[in-house]
Amino acid sequence: MGLIAAAIAVGLAAVGAGIGNGLIVGRTVEGVARQPELRGTLQTTMFIGVALVEALPIIAVVIAFMVIGQ
Amino acid sequence: MTEYSQMIRRYSQYTLYVLALFVMGWGVTSYKSVFLGLILGTVFSLINLFSTYRKVNRVGQAAVEGKKAKSLGSLTRLALAALAVAIAMRYPESFHLVSVVIGLMVTYIIILIDSILQTLRFK
Repeated sequence: MGLIAAAIAVGLAAVGAGIGNGLIVGRTVEGVARQPELRGTLQTTMFIGVALVEALPIIAVVIAFMVIGQ
Repeated sequence: MTEYSQMIRRYSQYTLYVLALFVMGWGVTSYKSVFLGLILGTVFSLINLFSTYRKVNRVGQAAVEGKKAKSLGSLTRLALAALAVAIAMRYPESFHLVSVVIGLMVTYIIILIDSILQTLRFK
């Protein structure tokens, strides 16, 4: 049961992060390709977005490990 | 120095300040395992920060040159977090598990607070 719980936790978090990261990276690449001089600003925004999106799956991985370890 | 690398430098600077505080807490107080866990988590968090920096930079470079970037390195970062937790679970007498998790979140908290402050400053 613990394994299933861990798998569901990591899987759902990874799906959410994948969708979020895809949206962020897609729009940033579009913007940079259109205006290469704005690369620094767009990369900064992208970095903050990617970092904040990835915080949740990391928590999910940790929770999954804690569930498996019990 | 570009705006992007300036930002990373600021974040790593703040993270190192926090890490120094944790090391001081480990040396001075009697909560050894809690502060050791925080130190472990913060070190892995710093590695994650640099990994994100390199990958995002590579994606930006690829977008400018019209090439393809293979990945954003999400799996590496998740595996690093899992490694930190595995170390904490392997040696529970040295590392407090919850403080490792809090340590892993240090850079994200710093990024959140700093971006809010920057937005307020340039409003």
